[in-house]
Amino acid sequence: MDRAISRVFLVGAVLMIALMANLAWIQVLHAGSLRNAPQNHRVIAQQLRVRRGLILGFDGSTIAGDALRSGFYHRTYPQGPVAPQIVGYDSARYGQTGIESSLNGYLSGSDSGTQGLVDRLLGRHSPGANVELTIVPAVQKVAQTALGAQLGAVVALDPTTGAIIAAASAPSYDPATIDASFAALAKNPDAPLLSRGTQGLYPPGSSFKVVTATAALNLGKVTPTTPFNDSGTYSIYGGKVTNYHGEVFGAHDFTKALTDSVNTTFAKVGTLIGQAALIDQMRHYGFYQTPPLELPRGMVYPSGRYLGPRLLSPTAAMNPLDVAWAAVGQESVLATPLQMALVAAGVADAGQVMKPYLVQRITSSRGNVLQRAAPSLWTTATTPATAQTLNVMMQQVVNAGTGTAAALSGIQVAGKTGTAQRGASNVAWFIAFAPANNPKVAVAVTIENTLFTGGDVAAPLAAQVIKAALAQPSLP
Amino acid sequence: MSRRNTELLLLAVVGVAATIAYASVYAARFHDLRRDSIVTGVIFLVLFLVIHLTERRYLPQGDPYLVPLAALLSAIGLTEIYRISPALALKQGEWLLIGVALFVATVLVVRDVGRLAAYRYLIGAVGLVLLALTVVAGTSVNGSRLWIRVAGFSIQPSEFAKIAIVIFLAGYLNQNKEMLSVPTARLLGVPVPPLKYFGPLLVMWVLSLVMLVFMKDFGMSLLFMATFIAMIYMATARIAYVVAGALLFAVGAGGAYQYVPHVHERFAIWIDPWKTAATSGYQLLQSLFAMADGGLVGAGFGRGYLLYSNHVPTVPDLQTDFIFSAVANELGLAGGIGLILLYLLFSWRGYHIALQASDGFSKLLAAGLATVFGLQTFIIIGGVTRLIPLTGITLPFVSYGGSSLTANLVLAALLLMVSHHSLVVEAGSTTERLRLAEIV
Repeated sequence: MDRAISRVFLVGAVLMIALMANLAWIQVLHAGSLRNAPQNHRVIAQQLRVRRGLILGFDGSTIAGDALRSGFYHRTYPQGPVAPQIVGYDSARYGQTGIESSLNGYLSGSDSGTQGLVDRLLGRHSPGANVELTIVPAVQKVAQTALGAQLGAVVALDPTTGAIIAAASAPSYDPATIDASFAALAKNPDAPLLSRGTQGLYPPGSSFKVVTATAALNLGKVTPTTPFNDSGTYSIYGGKVTNYHGEVFGAHDFTKALTDSVNTTFAKVGTLIGQAALIDQMRHYGFYQTPPLELPRGMVYPSGRYLGPRLLSPTAAMNPLDVAWAAVGQESVLATPLQMALVAAGVADAGQVMKPYLVQRITSSRGNVLQRAAPSLWTTATTPATAQTLNVMMQQVVNAGTGTAAALSGIQVAGKTGTAQRGASNVAWFIAFAPANNPKVAVAVTIENTLFTGGDVAAPLAAQVIKAALAQPSLP
Repeated sequence: MSRRNTELLLLAVVGVAATIAYASVYAARFHDLRRDSIVTGVIFLVLFLVIHLTERRYLPQGDPYLVPLAALLSAIGLTEIYRISPALALKQGEWLLIGVALFVATVLVVRDVGRLAAYRYLIGAVGLVLLALTVVAGTSVNGSRLWIRVAGFSIQPSEFAKIAIVIFLAGYLNQNKEMLSVPTARLLGVPVPPLKYFGPLLVMWVLSLVMLVFMKDFGMSLLFMATFIAMIYMATARIAYVVAGALLFAVGAGGAYQYVPHVHERFAIWIDPWKTAATSGYQLLQSLFAMADGGLVGAGFGRGYLLYSNHVPTVPDLQTDFIFSAVANELGLAGGIGLILLYLLFSWRGYHIALQASDGFSKLLAAGLATVFGLQTFIIIGGVTRLIPLTGITLPFVSYGGSSLTANLVLAALLLMVSHHSLVVEAGSTTERLRLAEIV
């Protein structure tokens, strides 16, 4: 009997050891995949119990705040939506986007550095860190209001630092009601959740002529006074390049080719410099790279030549007709409003494109500065001399060319219009910077699905945004 | 050091541990400490001191480790229940008071544990009646019919029935072990004892099936059948009973899987809880998620994420069947393994008492009680950790529930009586015996 009893005890001990081994598997070995299982909402629910860091505008005003409701914090938006596609939403059900997602570690307080050592030892959770953006709510609101019911985007930045002052995308949405409206927003064909400024890829049309002109001036192939003759058509490689609305410009110089946006001349210039130089100039402006904004992966697209959804290699083969059309911003060239704003900024800042950024400062709940923006050079587009030449030419666009609607009294604006055909409608562009002799703001305005030209609909909008930005007491 | 002094020392350690655990929860809840935490620890200790003094008077040679283990487990249970709901902890405290009274009553009424053998059929019948009551007058909770309501209290008779059945089996098997060990016939090539002696065993099998089908209590059914198989093996040392018993249970369980939807569902959840993550698999998955959060050492008592803001537990039935998940969440793998080790220690003391016992009945009684205790622990912890299909039974001493707490204190009393009795009887002369019994 005793031997049998001992055996039963041994079996029992083995069963208990099996329990311990299984427990180790659950709590340690397999714990990571259990924690990250989509069915597991514990992590988000725990974060909702901690006061989330604020998202502030450059003026210090609260863009995304907190309110406590039955033990859980939820986001409030005291100014209404401000750049919601950039700031993002924070939903227990639909997760997070934008800054809410990319800086969640700081905002939720889970990132080390936001918690004091004593708090961590005691298991206390201090509130998340506050994130101060470079977005200036006053300018952002002007841009959003100016877009109104049109589809499109405005990106405004400080060319001397790269700080994004405004990034408006229309249509927009209200992140305060995301839980209720998400399903409808996700299905809306006009894509209100899309950050058009960084994710919208559009044919840049004539606004791209600034890039072509930069390459040609750099190579010494043209000067502002180089004479050209336009017959309304430029034939090459069995095809032809024509002007907008079939216009014929006759004899003109290179400056006039830019101010009046002569396609045939820029097609000739494209042929003159060739594919390699054109693509090389694009890369120097930042094309073929993803601008390093503090946004989640997939929220900023690189610009360049695309085949369907795929960015082509810079060395992908082009025939002479392709090069001629690419030089006028058509063919397969696609650019985001952010990239075209960076082109304007490069000209404005003596050929230097500063690294674009959205986050001015991150401050812990105790007031320690955890991170501060440090402006740095992203890419060099051209020489100061060429930049100055382009600056003068772009002033002419506003003073006597297609961009007169962007003119402001007392402020010299430099810019370039663009009107790209996409399907049956146009994509209207205006890229600009001001004041031309001491640039403080660079802008790109894109209106999609319009029947008008960039000079008609985009230029006046750019003027409003520039005016609002220059009226600010301080900019990032 | 005498056995009782050892016990007192251990109880003092448990008292300190209980006070610290309770203070930890209290501090996490109210962010400061008050005298209340100390007072609660003292009250808890006083209750176990009553048990200790009862032992000093009547069971001086009882095992010194069982009561401290029971006290530590109860302290962990009370702390975790308090952390989930202070109101429930108060009720559980009242049950602890009743449990202590029942412990003392058991010692005073039974006096000599050997006498229980004489009443084996009566006790067995009481066990059956308790179970029958559940079927007739029981109320259903979570699809299982487990409770009867008496004077405002919900009582789970199966917790007491398990002890009655073990007493019956110990008496019955001890009396018939020779006959059961000598096969006189063969059935399908397997040597079997005479049918006359086999009868009551078939009754046990039918009983466990009845529990399964009518009470839908898969956990208790498994517990009864497995305890029975273990006890008949310990009585006869014949492995054939284990094989035959396992086959019988498998047939019964297989049939239940086919025809009882409740049982079928439990198996389906076990095989793939992810498929029904939002419905029937929700509870088990939440349990696994809660334990995964615990990691190696957990956040500490009162500091885990176990309650939603409206005080609803993140795992349904957290305070009863799933209390192990709560402990594993807050104390991590270290605490979970520690808890399992405490149960292993308790069972080990039970088997140790059985090996020391002088007569067959005492041996079988102690080993049977140790088995039913250890198995119950394995079945519920295995269930909430998805090692085996989940069956709702309580975790001894720790789960919220009066029946479980009081019944397990009675179980501890019986083990202590066997322990005391065997030491006193084994010790040589009458003088020596009287000295050991400390009645001189």
